[in-house]
Formats: sequence, C-alpha cells, structure tokens
Amino acid sequence: MPDYDAIVVGAGNAGSAAAITMASKGLSVLLVDRSDPPGAKNLSGGVLWGNDLARILPKWQSEAPLERYIQNKKIGFLTDDSSIIIDFKTKIFEENKVGYTVLRSKFDPWLAKKAKEAGAMVIPGITVESLAKKDGKIVGVVESGDTITASVVILAEGINPRLAIEAGLREPLQDWEVSVGVKEIIKMSPQKIEDRFNLTSTSGMASEYIMGNLKELNVGAFFYTNKDSISLGIVSPMEQLRANGVTHTYDIIEQFKEHPSIAPLIEGGTVAEYGAHMIPEGGLEMIPKLYGDGYMIVGDAAGFGFSNGLVLQGMNYAFLSGILAGETAVEAKGRNDFSENFLALYKQKLEGSYVLKDLKTFKDIRKVTNNKNMYTVYPKMLESILLEMLWERGQPKKKVRDILSSCAADLNLSKLKTATDFYYIYRRM
Amino acid sequence: MLKIAVMIKQVPDSQDISIDPVTKTLNRSMARNVVNPPDVNATEAAVQLKDKYGGEITAITMGPPMADTALLQLMGMGVDNGILVTDRVFAGADTWPTAFTLASVADYLGGFDVIFCGEETTDSSTGHVGPGIAEFLGCEQATYVHKVEYEDGFFVVTRDIEGAEETIKIGKPAVITITLNANEPRNPTLKRKIAAYKKGVRVVTNKELQLDPACIGLKGSPTIVKDMKTVPDPVKNPSKLGVEDMEKLVSVLIEKGVVK
Amino acid sequence: MIVDIKERLGKTKYDVDKSYAHITVDERICEKCPHHFCVMACPAQCYTLQDGKLNFQYEDCVECGTCSVACDQGSVKWTFPKAGKGVIYKYG
Repeated sequence: MPDYDAIVVGAGNAGSAAAITMASKGLSVLLVDRSDPPGAKNLSGGVLWGNDLARILPKWQSEAPLERYIQNKKIGFLTDDSSIIIDFKTKIFEENKVGYTVLRSKFDPWLAKKAKEAGAMVIPGITVESLAKKDGKIVGVVESGDTITASVVILAEGINPRLAIEAGLREPLQDWEVSVGVKEIIKMSPQKIEDRFNLTSTSGMASEYIMGNLKELNVGAFFYTNKDSISLGIVSPMEQLRANGVTHTYDIIEQFKEHPSIAPLIEGGTVAEYGAHMIPEGGLEMIPKLYGDGYMIVGDAAGFGFSNGLVLQGMNYAFLSGILAGETAVEAKGRNDFSENFLALYKQKLEGSYVLKDLKTFKDIRKVTNNKNMYTVYPKMLESILLEMLWERGQPKKKVRDILSSCAADLNLSKLKTATDFYYIYRRM
Repeated sequence: MLKIAVMIKQVPDSQDISIDPVTKTLNRSMARNVVNPPDVNATEAAVQLKDKYGGEITAITMGPPMADTALLQLMGMGVDNGILVTDRVFAGADTWPTAFTLASVADYLGGFDVIFCGEETTDSSTGHVGPGIAEFLGCEQATYVHKVEYEDGFFVVTRDIEGAEETIKIGKPAVITITLNANEPRNPTLKRKIAAYKKGVRVVTNKELQLDPACIGLKGSPTIVKDMKTVPDPVKNPSKLGVEDMEKLVSVLIEKGVVK
Repeated sequence: MIVDIKERLGKTKYDVDKSYAHITVDERICEKCPHHFCVMACPAQCYTLQDGKLNFQYEDCVECGTCSVACDQGSVKWTFPKAGKGVIYKYG
C-alpha cells in the first residue's frame, strides 16, 4: 500500500487546485511545497481570472486575498517619444468581477490553506529531491534519502521543472520555450493609486504594452494596480535576449519605468520588491508528455500559458489543468488504475477544455510575437500616422493612404512585406 | 535516557519589521512568523544530545494557537513531542509570568533532566526567560552556551563570557540557554514533518494547569511600560567617505598593528 | 526613478543558506565559453565578468531558472534551495 493516494509537488495555483479537487473527494493527499509559507517563491505576471477557481471554491471572490478587480484594461504601444493606448473600460467588467490582480505571497497561502481544509496534508518548506521510480513507473518522491510513496504523483513544480527533467519526463527547457519576466512592486498609497488611475477603492487597472522603444528586442511589459502598490515588469523572450547579447534583463525594466508615459505613473512611489521568474512561451510545441504510469504534469510545469504580446495568461490554465488532473486521479482511484492507459483521461479532459484548445488555436502565435516589425516598425508607423493626423504643423494635410505609404517608405518597409505581416497577424491572432 | 525539553517562541521575522515613518511604531503587518532563531540552535543542541546519549525531546511554547506550526517545524528536525501552552489568561505576559508558566508546565509534564532555551528572543531581547525558568524550578543553569557534553550525569558546557569562554560542569536538572549560531541547525526532513503533522501538538490550557490567575498573563506581569521612544537613525556623512579616507584608514590600521 | 540593480535586490528578502549553494558553475567550462550570455540573462546579477573571468555568487539568486536555460555549455548545475531557504517574496 502506498503512503498516499496522491502526492502533489508544488502548492501554487495548479498544485493546490489539484489537491483540493482530490482531497474533497476523499483521496489521501500530500501537498509539498519548497517555500514556507507556500507562494513565497512565486510572482504573478498577469491578472487572475477566476472562472475555473469558482468550480472548486465558489466563494473565492469574498474569501481570497485579492487586490483589485479589473475594471479597466489597457493595451499600449510605446515608441521613444510616444505611447498609443487602447483604453478599454466596460460595465461588463464591473458586473462580472472575475479578473483580479493578486499578490502571490498572500494568495497562495490562502489556497494552500483551502487544500488543508479539504483534507490534504500540506507540508511547506520541503524541497523534494527526486522522483521515486520502480519498474518504469513513478511511485513517489524522495527527500533526505526517504521515499514517500503514492499511487500518483502530480507534478506542479512550476516553470523550472527540475524533477520532471531529472526523471527524463521532459527535455530541458530551450530558449524558444521561455521568456524572462522581471518584476517590481512599487509602493503607493491607495488614495494616490485611486486618484491617479481614476479608480474606486476596489477597482483596478491592468495594462499590457509592446515596447517599441527597444531596438532589436521584442519585449512586452505589464503594469497593474494592487491595493497599495503597483506591479510592473517586462517579459523578454530568451531567444531574443541571446540574439541581442548586449542587454541586461535587469536594465530593460528600468527602460520601461523611464519611458515618458510610464515615469509619471510611478512618481512618488518606492520600490518595495524586485524579482524575476520565467514564463512559458512555447505554446503547444513545448507541452511535454502530460501523463504516464503514476504521474501527471500540470500548470507552468506543463508549459500551460498563453501570450500573444498583448495578453499574458497562465493562472487560469493552472487552475483548470490542476482540477482536471485531480478529477482524473479521483476516477483512477475509483478504478484502482493509475496506469498510463487510464491517466490518458487527463489529456482527453484537457483537449475538451480551453487549455489545449487555446494552445491549438494559437499554435502559430510565436510567428507573430517573434516578428520584429510588430515591436519596432509598426508602433513607429502608428506614431507617424497619428502625428500626421493629429498634429497641426501649418502644412497641407494628407490622406491616410498617402500617410501610410510615406511612413512605409520612411521605415524602409515594402508594401508586400507589410501586407503579408498584417495578413499573418490577422490569421494567427 | 535523557528527558529533554526545549522552550521556544514564535516571533515575527525581524527582517520583515519596519518602523512606520508616521506613527513611529513597529509595523508587523507584513511579517512572516518564524521560530525565534536562537531557539532553533537550542533545538539543534537538544537533538545532538539525543543523538549521542539517547533521550526524548519535548518542545514547549506559550503562544497563540497558530504557534503550532513552529512546534511542527522543530518536530521535523527531530523533536519528539510538541506542547502548545495556549489560553487567553496567559496573554500579555512579560518575562516573569512567562518563566513561571513555562516552569510550571515543565513540572506538570513530570520534569526534565535538561531544559534548553535560546539565549534571548529577537522580538524583546531580554534573555530573562531561561534563567527565570531555572529559578522557579530551583535547578542549575548555564547561559550563553555554545557547546554541550554529557558526562557521568553532569552537563559540561562551554559558555561565552565577554572576551573569553569558560567551561563549567552543572548537575541535573539543568537549564541551558544556547547562543545564536552556536551550531548549524539541521533541516527538517519530509518524513519527519509528515510524522509531526500526523501526530500533531498537544494543547495545554490553564484548565489543566490550574495556575493562580494573579500570577499569570498581564495580571502577573510586574513590568509597566511608561513610554516608548524611537531613536533616530545615526546621521551618515557621505562627504567623509571615499577612497582617499579608505586608504588613510587602512594605513592607520596598519600603524596600530590591527592589520598586517 | 532609476534604481541600481544592487539596490533593487536589497529590497528583496532572502534567507540565504550559507551551507548550501543551490547553483554551481564549472569554472573550467566557463573559461572557454564563447558568449557568457548568463551575464546578460541573469536578472539578479549573480553572474559578472571581471577581467574576462566569470564570477558567480548564488546569494542574490531569485531562483527564476533563467541561467539553467541561458547556459548552453553545460556549466550550470541547478537545484532548488532546501528547507524554504533562498528568496522569500513578501508581495510576489
């Protein structure tokens, strides 16, 4: 008899969601996290969308430590001198509060506590050293020379999946699979945040930017409001950083903060924390084999993330994949069958959900996000068009068509290349 | 087989405490709770003693119900039992009733051959409680100890005294307070932590102990805080820093024979 | 409000495990590395070049794993710190 029905490695969103799903159905669950309390190693790089969380914790909106609900979403392009921003504010967000900014050091301990309340044994502050294998099956985890066994191990170890790599369950990560996220917390009084961003005491703003002001690097940036702080950061693809080879990741975030449209927004704030985290960027192609005899892989460890330069999501994929792996384990327990054959059900469930559907739909998105023109040329072009249209310089006005062609000529851009770019953006996004 | 106790306290992580620039009071709202650091060294000393001479270790803390995680953490290192002394009547205790209560608990649990404590807590830094327990129990004590041996029924301990150290021999039962960094505490292991979480901690209230309410908690505390002042940060003079002065400093140090 | 990286790292909380370096590098491999991309990639300035020689310190590491991908020479050996030690985000 194994010690537990299931061992979950990692008490982040995916791991805790899996543990809650299984423990609430009566499975014996051990949830281990390397930080104490859980979450102290995690950074949120996006907004938490809670539709899936509601499946296991219907009262999450009133109980979870959330910062502000997203009432206002912005998408922006930055050039050296300008910012072009789509400012989306809708009553629909006000009436359906499902997107929230969160601070993981507060949110994750709450979620792990929910796992404990559901009946899981939650052990923080322990780093699992390796997976225990027997006859080609995963049978448990190893720490300090001791083996703790389980019918199934759910790997929710995050974007740097050391256990899966060591056990040969996935290849080491490659450049194209990840971005480097660098983040800062800027302390600011709630009053100042609400005045500056035109918010109420509970509403918040989340912005995503394309940094067109960096030469040779396709970098995205984010900026959003917490209760009494600002979370901001940059997301830089590893491939680009290597090709560029001369830019320190820790300097890019400062270039974002220095931008003439960002600097005034953080004026008067103080840096309270600095951190970095990798972000899955590889889409469908980076997904490893998701299950096998005695194991399943969930969340960031499986590469479940969505990013198209303007939208960055991962926590919702983490919740849902954790829940689906949990449900699979519950059914496996019912049949007493934790073989690869039966756990294939997990992949079927994922394929029926938006997790794998999204990744399939957007399987070519990297061709857009890797397109240098998206980051450097088009923001510049937009800026030129707007200057021509909106800036009265005592000169004859031009038609948009003429503005476009003169811009394209200024930027050394062939009409064909522009047309194909837009065609592919249209096709892939 | 030695009966060993460790008296521990859960404290806010000193790294997380800031002084509110407006109210000048301590801001603990962001603070993570940790085991008082020298108490971890005391626990390591206890576990080493047990490893070498055999015995059973009981960790005891007086605090709020959430302090159980501190005990579980130490049980992960090799402590056998966790005792959480918690009751509203114990709240607000200064070092006098704290020592009295903990000594009473030790007595209530049948007494110990040796009681380890940390040299002091990081949140109040008095160093009173260890010696206080020894006095209430009427047993021998050694403070600021970094090395403990057990020979022929005696504890041979090495303690820090200003500018030197001394080795003394004390009899059973004894209270020994351990200095911060006296040893390198081992990490808890998963297996031991699982066993600890399964076993849980034993909660002891005053219903069981029946201590005189006048001697415990706030009522039993003779300390009265009259006033609190925030001392301003020492003024730094950046103009006095620089390579030139650094060189001067080094040459003075060489002159005085401090460095070679 | 440009803030030096060392100062920014100073805002982040750590419980450094002095007895265990969770990342190690092989100096012999680094000596022959053609790019030292780790120096650019590491967001915590754990990798620096001094007179062409690579210097590594794990104390400021925020455990992002970037160097485990950035190093394509097989020099970086990457594990997680033990017992909850290492970086401890207060906000996250």
